[in-house]
Amino acid sequence: MEFDRRDFLKLSLTAGAASALSGAISVFDNDANAAANKEGFEPLPNINIGGIIRPPGALPEKEFRAKCISCGVCVNVCHTMKYDTLSIAGLSDLKNFGLPYVKDTRDFPCALCMECLKSCPTGALQPVKKEDVKMGMALIDLSICFGWNGDVCLSCSKACPMGATIFDFYNGEWGNQPMINDKCVGCGLCAKFCPLGGSAIKIITRDEYKKVKDNYLADFKKTMNMTNEERYNLVYGVNLPLIMSRGRIIEREYRD
Amino acid sequence: MSTETNVNNTPDEEPTCSNLSKNNKKGLLNWLKGHKLSTLRRFVLIAVVVFFLLQFLRVKIAVGSLTGSLAIWFVNLLDVFAYLESIFASKDFGLIALLSALPILVVYLIFGRSFCGWVCPMDYIFHVADRIRKCKIFDFKISPNYGYIIPLVFLAVSFAVGIPVFTNYFSHLTNFFRSLTGAYFFFMDLPVAVDVIIFSFAVIGFLIILELIFPRMWCRLICPVGRVYGLFNKVSRLKLMITDNDLCKGCKACDRACYMGVKVSDYVKNGDKIIRDSNCIFCGRCIEACNTKSKIIKMNLSLK
Ligand code: SF4
Ligand code: SF4
Ligand code: SF4
Ligand code: SF4
Repeated sequence: MEFDRRDFLKLSLTAGAASALSGAISVFDNDANAAANKEGFEPLPNINIGGIIRPPGALPEKEFRAKCISCGVCVNVCHTMKYDTLSIAGLSDLKNFGLPYVKDTRDFPCALCMECLKSCPTGALQPVKKEDVKMGMALIDLSICFGWNGDVCLSCSKACPMGATIFDFYNGEWGNQPMINDKCVGCGLCAKFCPLGGSAIKIITRDEYKKVKDNYLADFKKTMNMTNEERYNLVYGVNLPLIMSRGRIIEREYRD
Repeated sequence: MSTETNVNNTPDEEPTCSNLSKNNKKGLLNWLKGHKLSTLRRFVLIAVVVFFLLQFLRVKIAVGSLTGSLAIWFVNLLDVFAYLESIFASKDFGLIALLSALPILVVYLIFGRSFCGWVCPMDYIFHVADRIRKCKIFDFKISPNYGYIIPLVFLAVSFAVGIPVFTNYFSHLTNFFRSLTGAYFFFMDLPVAVDVIIFSFAVIGFLIILELIFPRMWCRLICPVGRVYGLFNKVSRLKLMITDNDLCKGCKACDRACYMGVKVSDYVKNGDKIIRDSNCIFCGRCIEACNTKSKIIKMNLSLK
């Protein structure tokens, strides 16, 4: 019988003290980004998220940790807005304990309602304009994106609240080839609405983006400059099997 | 003095936990009559917790926790000690934080430390814990003034490590509301780490155990939030007044009733007209316990 870990924990918490202990043991495999790192199913497995995606308007990491008092206003406000984007970080990183973060935008993207940052009493979240939010950066995995492998798919660009300012299209015979530019705010709506199983878009922190940007763009240029034959081999030989193995997902649930 | 009501402990009775709650057995209505302030206090506390629970139904009357919250949809509030920790940790004055802390500051300039007796959920949790404890009342040997060390230590540590240490990890308020949020998220299948819930419940559990061994030691000596609010007692508009010191029978019922170890009877004996004790949480138990008919201790809220 398959026993879902979540069901198991729920059972154990209800069952009382004895089985709550087994819940305590599972604490140690509770990684902040466990869902996003589910092996083999996430886009761009070679690129790390690079830390923690904070709520919109968050100060730089160190100042944020100094200011935030873990009051939970932002988390609960997000819940009252029915977005449920924010979660409370666990003990796996002590410095971070109790602070709000975005767990997995593929399940709960930030709708940029801008309520949490208005409600933060300490100023750990600063009131900023939507366009100036810098939660993270969305990267498209070119090897599994439909638009880069002979298809036309506009789902991500349609889901993006910033729309035309962020997406560039390199239309060609290999698809409509979307790219996301630096103006991305990192809300993750695109990742949520990508129809590929496991999503073809990964949200990483801005710091990590600075590190991987060159490599990523080199990859992009390489794909763009490929000869027809090279591209054919890549798409039919490597990428399409990958895509087929993931499938198109209509009902999405990536949480563990 | 046979005309006096004997609703409370007689002076020669041994002050044990069981005879403190003895009055309950005399019927609910009688109890309510003698405990108007206690009843009101419970109502205030329940109202506050219910308002915070309403956040799960997406009603934003009180969102967050008692360390920092969003009240009635748009007012940001921040606990004064949390504010201090936050500015010490960030080494930044924090205008937004100051604006959120100001309303709370004003409330405490008026009401002093009444937060502890009227709003803090631990007061009720401890009260329930007290009932299952069969023991002598804990007579406090350590002066509560040593308690001033604790907020200072936490501020220094926060400054050093750059994290509001008490409020983030150990605060009873943070953990109480975090455990509510965590448990609710958990059962609603929303993203939440299980260890957050376990940690938060563990802190509350630890405080209950502490209460069972050393009654109210947390409130009297350790809690830095209450200690900071205690400072406001010296200037607050709400204060305890003694109307007629000579009527005192010296029964010390007030001292025994006081959760916080305030020696009310000493103030009465010394001829003081006003009690500004930094440990007083304005619960009014001393007033309810007072064996004089006209209740010589009064709670007074006036501008002077
Ligand atoms: S902006 Fe809105 S949706 Fe995004 S994290 Fe804040 S409250 Fe949640
Ligand atoms: S509202 Fe601000 S202080 Fe409170 S948990 Fe969120 S970021 Fe931290
Ligand atoms: S590209 Fe994706 S993450 Fe970036 S702003 Fe648009 S929807 Fe949000
Ligand atoms: S002095 Fe009276 S009002 Fe103050 S804490 Fe003690 S019993 Fe309560």
